[in-house]
This record gives sequence, structure tokens and C-alpha cells, in this order.
Amino acid sequence: MTTTSPSVRTSEFRLLATPLVLFLLVFLGFPAIVNLVYSVSQVSFETLRSPQLSGFSNFAAVWNDAAFWRSVWFSLRFGVLTALLECGLGLFLAIFLSPLIVKRSWLLAILMLPLMVAPALVGLMYRLVLHEFVGPVPYYLWTWFGAGVSFLGPGSAFWTLVTVETLQWTPFALLLFYMAYQAIPADIGEAAAIDGAGPLRRLWRIELPLMAPTIVAALLIRFIDGFRVFDNVYVLTGSGPGGATASLSIYIYEAFFKQGAIGKAVAASVLLFAASFAVLYGLNALATRRKGAAA
Amino acid sequence: MITALRWLVFAVAALAMNFPILVTLATSFKSARELTTNPGLWVQAPTLANYMAVFQVTDRLNIALYLFNSMVAALTGTVLAVVLALPAAYAIARGRVGERTLLPLIVNLRAVPLIIFAIPLYMMFQWLALLDTRLGLGLILTIVNLPLALIILVNAIRELPAELDEAAQIDGAGRTRTLVRIIAPVCRPAIVTSLIFGFITAWNEFLFGLMLTTSKAVPITVGASFFFAASGGGVQWGVASAVMIVGALPPVLLGLVMYRQISGSMTAGAVKG
Repeated sequence: MTTTSPSVRTSEFRLLATPLVLFLLVFLGFPAIVNLVYSVSQVSFETLRSPQLSGFSNFAAVWNDAAFWRSVWFSLRFGVLTALLECGLGLFLAIFLSPLIVKRSWLLAILMLPLMVAPALVGLMYRLVLHEFVGPVPYYLWTWFGAGVSFLGPGSAFWTLVTVETLQWTPFALLLFYMAYQAIPADIGEAAAIDGAGPLRRLWRIELPLMAPTIVAALLIRFIDGFRVFDNVYVLTGSGPGGATASLSIYIYEAFFKQGAIGKAVAASVLLFAASFAVLYGLNALATRRKGAAA
Repeated sequence: MITALRWLVFAVAALAMNFPILVTLATSFKSARELTTNPGLWVQAPTLANYMAVFQVTDRLNIALYLFNSMVAALTGTVLAVVLALPAAYAIARGRVGERTLLPLIVNLRAVPLIIFAIPLYMMFQWLALLDTRLGLGLILTIVNLPLALIILVNAIRELPAELDEAAQIDGAGRTRTLVRIIAPVCRPAIVTSLIFGFITAWNEFLFGLMLTTSKAVPITVGASFFFAASGGGVQWGVASAVMIVGALPPVLLGLVMYRQISGSMTAGAVKG
């Protein structure tokens, strides 16, 4: 019988994880360092390889840029609103439709369809849907109600984008909630029914609390995705009208590709990185503490 | 009575959520003449002319090339992600290597807006001559796919009985051999799920396609948006619709066939990750 010492076994495991670690170092570690260096340097497309250290002027430029704060505000509002709408609608649909879906799981495939289509393509599709001459929505609104609405105008663009995002991603919340709802053991409901609890009371007191972890996870995932939104907004409104719908991702993209302001774009990236890191670190700490408390 | 109400809600929800797809599908079958007179959902005289026009190459647009680019880059990003994640997942789940550092790092990567790496990656790709190449795009899609692939595979390996690899160890097989000969075959469902999920995500990616490609390696999501920009004021809506339907088809078909696996892994990825 061959016995291998624990350290030898660990080293073979290390070897197995090495390709992934190397890949991450090259494609994420190196860019992260470049970000940090460039964010405190004076850099242009001509001086990419010889950045001059310049202190925190890039950060100051971003910090004092009204467009930056407007994009932060857009992203926050967009992320919170779409997460709440998607999870609210998804929760209702998951529970209300579950008697239908349990018997015919293919209904789920129809509801999941929007998740399979690229958000960029869905955004382009809405260019057609909302078009004033060939789009069915303005057409039906006009013929049925005599109303002419400019969906991508200054007052309504934000809400149009919220609707577009919500309609595409509500199925994601629906799916998570349906799975969590189905995972509730049947005997819990039966026991409560015997004790005389009605369906609404069971929903409020038993089922929703059991689904709470999934609800929190879904809210979080949808907020993050909404906060970093790019594709559908970019193809639908660009960032207009007048920068009113620039998300933080679009702000960084435009600073780099349209204005060539590398320092500003990189500094904004570093700020966003620091913010996401702080939020994630806080959440992880919270999750660990709760796990510890539960054990 | 309540069942009828449920069906009504289902119909309204399904219609509202799939509305852009239905409108685009209907429009793709309308002739240029019908488009000017009938913006409604009903097609009076269906025609396939728009689909015939999709693959006509013009000096600015080449839809067939964009589809090919998407296919190659998505497959690269999907397969490479699993190839990198599987051994690492085995090391994490069985050897507890990187369980406290590597795993949380990658899991959290899903929550980080990837645009923050976009600018250095753009410069790096310029140095490495990877800009506007399918390989370059595939490498980025690998990063996009890695977190979920790793979560799915770690969870799958953790659920396997430990006796499985112990038996192999007693037979004298090394870790690598055990992984290839025993773990990987048993994990096939999880591997397939990671591949399906990765392919859909990769095919639908837009941001990096927009930034890192310009002409030769443009994926279909970006190419379809060229179609709108290139035609300026006079968008050919019929052909544009056909382009969007064709571009959406691969992940949609995959999703419709595999929706059970997808719904399962979405839940696992969300709750355990």
C-alpha cells in the first residue's frame, strides 16, 4: 500500500488549481494593477507606456464632475427600482401561477424565453416596438386611445428603460421564487391547514419567511445587474436625451471611447471597484455573522 | 373560476414579457410595402424576403461573419471556462485548496461590474494584438463565464461521495488521473449545465464585443446594432427584424430545449453563490 503524505497530496491539488489562478492573474490581476497605476497618473493614448505620476488629480476631476454624480444617481435609482419591481412581480407570478406550472412545466419555458435573448437585442427590438411609424405600441395607443407618447423623450426615457429592464428580467425572479416555493415541504402547509390557518395566513406566516433567503438573494442579484446596466440602455437611448440616461457603466465607456479621457475613466473604474468591494465585503461579513449566529 | 384567472394572468404576463420578441418575429415576415401601412401584430401577407436579405453581404455589414464570430468566441469562452474551472473545482472541493480565498474571490466576481477591467484589458489587448480577434473575445467571455461554472462544478463535486475518490486512490491513481477518469465522467450533467449556461451568456454578451472588436471579430449582438446605425434615417425594419431573430435563435433554441437544467442551475448559482 502506498501512503502519501498530506503535503504531497495538497501540492497535487495546488497544481490542478494553478491554470485558473494564472488565468485570473493575467486577465484580472494585471488589469487591476494597471487601473491603480493609471488612476494616479497623467496618461493619454500617446503616453500609454510611460504614465507620469500625478497624484489624485484624476480622482478630483471625477469627483467634481456633475455628469459622474448624475450617472451614479441614475444607476442607483435604476438598480433599486428594477430590483423591487422585478422581485415584486416575480413573487406574485411565481406563487399565483404555481398551480398551473406544477402540472405543465413547459409553461415555464415560455416565461423564461426573454432570459435567453441578449439584452442588447431586446433593446434593439424595443426600437422597433416603440417606433413612431412602424412600432405597434404607438400605433395601438393612437388608434385605441388617440394618445401620442414619446417614449424616449426627456420625461419618459427613464421609465421606458425601467419597464424594458423589468419586463426582460422579471422571469429571473419568477424562476428563483417558483423553485423556492416548490421546495417548501408539503407537510408544513398541511400541518398549518389542520391548525386552521387560511391560505393567506399560511403565505404570510410560513411560506414567505421560508422563502426569505431567496428573496434577499434575488433582490441583491437584480440590484447589481440593474446598477451596472449597459447593453439595453446603450442601444435604446445611448445616454440621452442630454445624458439623462447615462448609467455609471456608460459614463466610464464614454469617458474612455468618446472623450479619450483615460485618467478620468480609470479613476471612475477604481471608485466603482472600491464601492463594489466595500459592499461585497460588508455583505459577506454579514452573511458569515448570521451563519455563526444560526449555528 | 380562480383557475381561469390564473390562465388570464399567465397569458398577460407571457405576452408582456415576450412582446418585443413577438413584434420582431411578426415584423420579420412583413414585406417592405406592408410595413408602411400595417404596424400591427398581424401579418397580412407573410414573406420570407427579409430572411433572404439577411445574408447578403454589403460593404459595411456581414451578418454571416458576425454569427460565425459569435459562435467561435462563445464556444471558446464556454469550453475554456469549464476546462479551467473543473480541475480548480476539484482542488477546492476535495483538497480544500483555495476554499477560503480563490472561491469567494471568483464568486464575488459575478457581482463586480466587469467594465472596471475594460480599459486596462483594452490596452493589454492592443499590446498583445488581440483586439478585434475571435480569440481575444473568447478569452474575455471565459472570465465572464468562470464564476458560475466554478460554483456549479464545486457544488457538484461536493455532492459526490468521498468513497469514490478514495477507491481510486487505493488503486494507486493520482489526483489528476482520478479527476479525468472518475470525477469528470460522474459530473457530466453539471459540466453540460455549465456549458449550456456559459454558451447562452457568452453569445448574448455585448459590452466587451462593442469595445474589443471593430470589424473582423464583431459578434452578432454588436453587428445587429450596426445595422441600425449604418442605415441611418431609413432603417430597413423588415431585414433588421430578421437579423435580430436569427441572432437570438441559437441561445433561445438551446434554452427551450434545456430549460429544466437552466432553471435548476440558476437557482443553485443564486442561492449557494
